[in-house]
Amino acid sequence: MSAVAGMGRAEAERAGARNVRRRRWRVVLRHAALLAWVAVIMFPIYWMIATSFKEKHEWVAWPPHWLPHDPTIKNYSQIFVFDVQRSGVAREATEQPFNVWGPLADSLLICTLSALVALLLGTFLAYSISRFNVGGRHFRHAILMIRMVPPIVIAIPLLMYYAIMIPLATEAVLGTRILLFDTRVGVSAIYIATTLPFVIWMMLTFIEEVPYTLEHAARMMGAGRMYTLRRVVLPLVASGMVVTFLFVFILNWAEFLLALTLTHPDVVTLPVLLNKFQSASEGRLFGPQAAIGTLITIPVVILGVLIQKHLIKGFSFGTIRK
Amino acid sequence: MAQIDLKDVVKRFGPHLAVKGVNLQVRDGEFLIMVGPSGCGKTTTLNMISGLERPTSGEIAIGGRVVNELEPGERGLGMVFQDLALFPHLTVYENIAFGLRVKKVPQAELDQRVRAAAEAMHIASLLAKRPAQCSGGESQRVALARTIVTNPSVFLMDEPLSSLDAKLRVDMRTELKRLHERLKSTFVYVTHDQAEAMTMADRIVVMSKGVIEQVGGPLDIYRKPASQFVAGFFGTPTMNFLAGEIDARDGTLAFASRSLREPLGDALPPSLAGRSIVLGVRSEHVEVGRGETPGRVQLIEPLGNESLVFFEFGGDAPLVAKVDAETRLRPGDNLTFGFNPAGYHVFDAASGARLN
Repeated sequence: MSAVAGMGRAEAERAGARNVRRRRWRVVLRHAALLAWVAVIMFPIYWMIATSFKEKHEWVAWPPHWLPHDPTIKNYSQIFVFDVQRSGVAREATEQPFNVWGPLADSLLICTLSALVALLLGTFLAYSISRFNVGGRHFRHAILMIRMVPPIVIAIPLLMYYAIMIPLATEAVLGTRILLFDTRVGVSAIYIATTLPFVIWMMLTFIEEVPYTLEHAARMMGAGRMYTLRRVVLPLVASGMVVTFLFVFILNWAEFLLALTLTHPDVVTLPVLLNKFQSASEGRLFGPQAAIGTLITIPVVILGVLIQKHLIKGFSFGTIRK
Repeated sequence: MAQIDLKDVVKRFGPHLAVKGVNLQVRDGEFLIMVGPSGCGKTTTLNMISGLERPTSGEIAIGGRVVNELEPGERGLGMVFQDLALFPHLTVYENIAFGLRVKKVPQAELDQRVRAAAEAMHIASLLAKRPAQCSGGESQRVALARTIVTNPSVFLMDEPLSSLDAKLRVDMRTELKRLHERLKSTFVYVTHDQAEAMTMADRIVVMSKGVIEQVGGPLDIYRKPASQFVAGFFGTPTMNFLAGEIDARDGTLAFASRSLREPLGDALPPSLAGRSIVLGVRSEHVEVGRGETPGRVQLIEPLGNESLVFFEFGGDAPLVAKVDAETRLRPGDNLTFGFNPAGYHVFDAASGARLN
């Protein structure tokens, strides 16, 4: 009797060991695959950062220099020139100074402004959708359809509106031309429109976690709708608003196609500036280009790390409850 | 004066009729409890008094003034919610002060009133804490303090004790009753717990499926339930129900079923002969060892001071009787039983209405 039981135990142990081995293999394989994928994804970023610290003869050296042989910050000093005119024309095209300050300011201004306005509009829209069922039951899904339109589809029609239709229409009706093309307001406006669905979706998940009874309690105590929003609802979703703001900021920060189409030459955002380095006039200045690329990436990485935990919550679109 | 009058109040949610014409008068200063199973319309009725829901038709008056069109905050009511609805981002102090801040009460008076309310609910030491740092019972007191601080003439409470554990719930019952004694305000309290209703209420309103089944004092409702529903809802264990008909063979009316024949005395008019009825008998009126009908014990539930005996006797469902805790009975034992005719409740089998 006990011998049988003993054999059974030994067998169970063997089976258990087999399971552990199998599980360990699965973990190793999964991590190997993930590491390979990370290498694929991260290589261009690594190459960009490495290049930004390389001298010009190292940019396209063969065999490649995996790390800069004599690291330099020349590429950075080259792009942070305030007054390109005064520093004069460089002897060599590769030493041509650039002023990244203007585009940096444009990008910061446009992204901050549009994210703030989208956040404000989106929060109130999300509130009304959540509490008053504005637009009916399927409205929240319909909103997402805006995101299904690829920007390239609307870029040209928008250009027509921005450059021709709106100036003509406003001149005819108001007697003054309102030009949205190549203006910070124009770019901000389209950014607000394209990011609003995200804001609404993310804020919906945060607002729906605020129990109705809190608002009922406030109403019972005589608080009006705006007072309740200000003192009860908004403080409770404040962290969600910060996350949403940062997320939308990153989206706009990296947006290229619409900015390229709807501006030139006054307003230049950082992605548009970056693109110039591939043009005939500026040539192939890989060093400064990499420096700007690195500069653009830094805030995205910082903000991304800050909000990643909350992003998952926002993206679960209310399907995951606490 | 804070009398509340409901006249033909109806509430419809889409195709669903939640409240089907309720007429009710809540007297000034009384502790009225609305009780019923979930979905019976009691919370909807309370929400219509509070103003959080608008009646589809009918009229609600508080203190003689029709309030149908008034915002909840303009009705002079205080409300305690089922989940308490304390503001998690505000301190206990600010939670209590919220209603006063809305009304722009001057700071000195506000501070004094908040502290007085906290003192009254014995939570003065919690003022700097957040609701999340308070225990269940403490949160309860904070919610009450937040309600009493604005001196409402009517208190509305929507199952405020349901989140507490059993012991605390019983303690809070006493406390609420004491609060009512002290404030002498009108309390309208909603619960699905019949024991809560029995222990606290001056009057009980029993609701079922959107209509009022009965209004009365706790003992009236226990002793003279107006319908089979009310009889079954109140009292633990649930009242025994026996289906049968009224038999008038030998000149007096008797209850007759397949396995039983019990004389009903003269409480019923003879015209009821032949009617299908349900006979209700509470467990304390089932007397084990008295009568001659045989039965067999299935189960014993000792309660300490007394025991419940579940036994079968050949009827459709087993009966339950309350017996002295010392009674020596075990499952499988045979017994004889009879009914105390004083405890008969006769209901119409079809409508459930009381006949005696």
